[in-house]
Amino acid sequence: MISESEIKLAKECLSMALKAGAQKARVNLVMDRMNLVSTLDSRIDKCTSCFDRSVRISIFADGRFGAFSTNKLEKDSLEAFIAKAVDTVKMLAPDPCRDLPPQERVQKNAVTGRELDLLDETYCSIDGKHRKETALAACLGKVPGKVRLVSEEGEYSDNIYDTLIVDSQGTFCRQTETSFEYFCEVTVEDENGEKYSSFDWAESPRLATLLWKEISRNAYDKACAMIGARNCRGRRCNMVVDREVSSKFVTPILRALRGDNVQQHNSFLDGKEGQKVFPEGMTIADCGARKGESNCILFDDEGVAAKEHVIIDKGIIREYFLNTYSAGKLGKEPTCDGPVRPKLLGWPRAGLTRDDILEMCGDGILVTEFNGGNTNTATGDFSFGIEGFVFKKGKIAYPVKEMLVTGNIVDLWSNLIACGDDSRACMSKLIPTLAFCNVDFNG
Amino acid sequence: MILNKEYYLGVFGIGETNLEELVAQALKNGGDYADLYFEDTFYSDILLRDSAVSAGGQHLDYGCGIRVLCGEKTGYAYSESTDIPSLTRAAAAAGVIADEAVCSEVAVSPANRYFGKPNPKADRYPFTGDWRNEPLSTAVPFLESIESAIRAKENRCCKVIASLSTSVSDILMYNSYGELKYETRPLASLSITTIFQQEGKTVQNSVGRSLRTGTEFLTPQLATELAQEAVKGVDALFDAKRPKGGKMSVVMGAGASGILLHEAMGHAFEADFNRKGQSVFADRMGKSICPKGINIIDDGTIPANRGACNFDDEGVPGQKTYMVEDGILASYLHDRVSARWYGVAPTGNGRRESFRYNPIPRMRATYMESGKDGSVQDLIAEAGNGIYVDSFSNGEVKIGEGDFTFYVKSGYLIENGRLTMPVKDINIVGNGPRALADIKGVAADLKIDDGTWTCGKEQSVAVSCGIPSVLIGKLTVGGE
Repeated sequence: MISESEIKLAKECLSMALKAGAQKARVNLVMDRMNLVSTLDSRIDKCTSCFDRSVRISIFADGRFGAFSTNKLEKDSLEAFIAKAVDTVKMLAPDPCRDLPPQERVQKNAVTGRELDLLDETYCSIDGKHRKETALAACLGKVPGKVRLVSEEGEYSDNIYDTLIVDSQGTFCRQTETSFEYFCEVTVEDENGEKYSSFDWAESPRLATLLWKEISRNAYDKACAMIGARNCRGRRCNMVVDREVSSKFVTPILRALRGDNVQQHNSFLDGKEGQKVFPEGMTIADCGARKGESNCILFDDEGVAAKEHVIIDKGIIREYFLNTYSAGKLGKEPTCDGPVRPKLLGWPRAGLTRDDILEMCGDGILVTEFNGGNTNTATGDFSFGIEGFVFKKGKIAYPVKEMLVTGNIVDLWSNLIACGDDSRACMSKLIPTLAFCNVDFNG
Repeated sequence: MILNKEYYLGVFGIGETNLEELVAQALKNGGDYADLYFEDTFYSDILLRDSAVSAGGQHLDYGCGIRVLCGEKTGYAYSESTDIPSLTRAAAAAGVIADEAVCSEVAVSPANRYFGKPNPKADRYPFTGDWRNEPLSTAVPFLESIESAIRAKENRCCKVIASLSTSVSDILMYNSYGELKYETRPLASLSITTIFQQEGKTVQNSVGRSLRTGTEFLTPQLATELAQEAVKGVDALFDAKRPKGGKMSVVMGAGASGILLHEAMGHAFEADFNRKGQSVFADRMGKSICPKGINIIDDGTIPANRGACNFDDEGVPGQKTYMVEDGILASYLHDRVSARWYGVAPTGNGRRESFRYNPIPRMRATYMESGKDGSVQDLIAEAGNGIYVDSFSNGEVKIGEGDFTFYVKSGYLIENGRLTMPVKDINIVGNGPRALADIKGVAADLKIDDGTWTCGKEQSVAVSCGIPSVLIGKLTVGGE
C-alpha cells in the first residue's frame, strides 16, 4: 500500500518538475502486489510473487507536453530523471490542447482510497499456504468416462492495487482495491485422438465472494461439448452470441467513439454524434462508478471523476469519448477518457436468458468462442473466426468450428433481434447474450 | 552491443560473490536450478500527429527476476530494487516452489551448460548511436520528412500518424551452474498509419519497420522506403471489395504471410504446449507433417533482426533451429524447462517480456526456406481460381485443435490464373496440420518481413517472420 512517505514523494515530484521549468505537472503513483499459484493436472506448477511501484509524470512546459515513467524511486534518481524530462518536453512542438483538466471535473471524494468499497481488508492475512490450498481445491482432478483429460491448467491469483494522482492544481485522488481471480483451461481428447480445449474464469474484489468451485468443471464441460466439431457449409442465418464473448461486437463501436479516432477521421462513426445509427433496441450506458462492483473507478488517469452516463440511447449516439486533449482538438466539451464499464441494456424485455433467445430465434448458429479476426475502424467491416453450435428449433444440435462470420458492424446491429439480460457482473463490459438475423457465415 | 563484465555489474550495483550468494539463497530449501535476470531498460517514444511532433516521452524500467526450478515446476519472484536485502527476499519468495509439500521429484536429463564468455565479435546487434544519449528532437525532422514525402506522393492523404519507439536494455544473467552472460539489446520500431479519403470514402494503410539497432536506424533511405510503402496500393484499397466467401486456393505472398507459420505452426511447435500434451503436434516428432522439400525454421541468428538474440533470456546461445526438415517434424522450440523434460539441448527459445516474467518457449524469426516451384506468378497460374493475399494484420491459433485465423488487410482475387479484383478486410481460417499437408507449391522468393511483429503468448515479445510465396490447396475465406 502507498505509504505517507510515498505520498510525500509524489508531491515532491511535482515540485521537482516545476522547479525544472514546467508550468504544470501531474504525477500518478502506482503500487501493485500480486501473488499467483498455477496448477497443472491438479499439482502445483508455478508460484509467482510480484511487487511493482512506479511513477508516471506528465509534464506541461512552455505549451508543450510529454509523458514519462520510472520505477527508480530514489530521490536523486527522480530529480535527474524529471529535470531531463522537462528539457525533453521543451524540444517538442507546442500543442495548445494539452492541459490539466479543469478543477470542477476532478474527483474530490477519493481521499482515503477506500471510498469505492473495493478493498478486501483481509488481504494482508492471506498467506502462501492458503493460496496453494485454494488453487489445489479448485482443481478438477480425475474424471471418469471415454473422454481423456489431456491437461488441466488452473491459476489462482490475488492482487492489491493502490493508485494515487496528484497534480500542480491541487488534485489529490486515491483508489485502493483488491482483486481475486481463478482461471482454468482444459484440453480433452476424444476416441479419435482429436483435441478440444476451453476455459472458464471468475473474478471478485473479495476472496469470500470468488466463485471458484465450478470453474474447472465448467471448462471441462465446455471442452467436451465441442467434441466432434466440424466446419459446415456457409449460410446466411440467425446468430446468437453467448454473453461470454458478446463484447466482441460492442468493442469496435466503443473504439470508433474514441475521440482520438474521431479526430483522426479513423472512425466509421465520425460525424454521427446525435444521429440514430443503431436500432431502437440498443442502449449502452456507462456504469463505471458503482460502489462495491468490479472494474469500477472513482477517477480516470487525469483525475476526472467517473460518473454514470448514457453513451448510445435507443440507437442514437449521445457522445464521443473526449478527454481534455481530444475535446480541445475537436473544439468540444470534454466527456470522459473512455467507457469504464459499459452496459448494454436488455431488450425487448427484461429477464431474457440465452435459452429464451435460442427459442426466440428457432434456427441458427450459437457463437461461443472467437478465434482471431479484426474490425476496420475506418469502415466498420469485420471478419472473425468462430466456433460454437448449430441450433435448431431453439435447441443445440451439434458443434461447429473453423467458420467465419463476416459483415459490417452497423449493418449487423441493424439486424438485432434481442439483447439478453444475463451479462456477467465480473466482466469489464456488461454485454449480455445477443441475437442477430441475416448474418453471413463461411465454412 | 557487448561491453565488459564490470560495466554490467556496475549498472546493477552487484558483485560476483553476491550473485553466487543469491542463487544459493534461492536454492536454500531445495530445487535443482536457479537463475537471476537483471534488466535496466530505457524506452523512448515520439509521435507525429496533425503534422506536428508534439508528444513524446521516456521511461525507465529496472529490476531483477529470480527463478527456481524444481523439476519442471517454477518459482518466480522479482524485485525492482537490486539492493541485497530486496534481492534476498525475492530469492526466498521464488524458493517456495521447493517446499516439499507441493514439489515432487521429477526425473530430469543432465543439464546442458554454456560457460562461454559473451563475445563482442559475434554480436548480432552492434550499434554505434545509443538511443539513451540521443535527444528526442533528433527524430523530429525524420518523422516530418516521412509525412512530407507521403503528402507529396498522394493528395488523397488526410492524416499521417507516425510513431518511433526505441529501447536499450542492459541485461545480466547468472545461474546456479555458474554461467554468467551479459549484453546490451537495442530495438527501434517505426510505425506509420496513413488515412486517405476520396469521395466520402475512408481507407487506412499501416506500414512499419523494426530492427535491433541504434540511432543509425534513422536514414533518409528508410524514410523514403516507408513513404513509398504507405502510399502503395491506395487505388486498390479504395476499389477493394469483399469476395464471395468459401473454400478456395490461397496464394500467400512472400514476406508478411510468414505470420501463417508463426500462428498455425510455430506455436504448436513450442515445447511447453507439447510437454503438456496440448499441442496438435504433441506426438508427431520425427513424422512427416508436410510435403517433402519443405523446411521451416526458427532463427535467432539474423543480424539486427527483431527476433535476433546473442543469448536467449536464460543465457542459452541464440541459434538457428530447424523445426521441419524436408517435411519431417525435426525439433520443438525449447527453453531449459522443456529441454530437461525431453532430455535434449535447449534451442535458445527461452524468452520473456521483461524481468517481471519467467522465460517460456517463444519464437524468434520464423520462416520457411525458399522452394523450387518457380515464381509467385507460377503459383497464381497454378491456383487458377482463388485468392492472393499480401498483407495481414494479425492472427490467432488454438493450440490443441490447430485451428488458426488471419485477418487479411489486402490482396486480390485470382481468376483464371490472373490477379483481378482487389480484396480487403477478410479472414482466412484453417487448420495448421491440414494446411501444412495441403501445400501445393513453394516459390523461390523467401522474404523476411521486418515489420513491428509482437507475439502475445502470455507476454509480449518482439519477433519477426518470413515466407516465400506459397500455394495452399484449400482454405476457408470469409466473404459475402
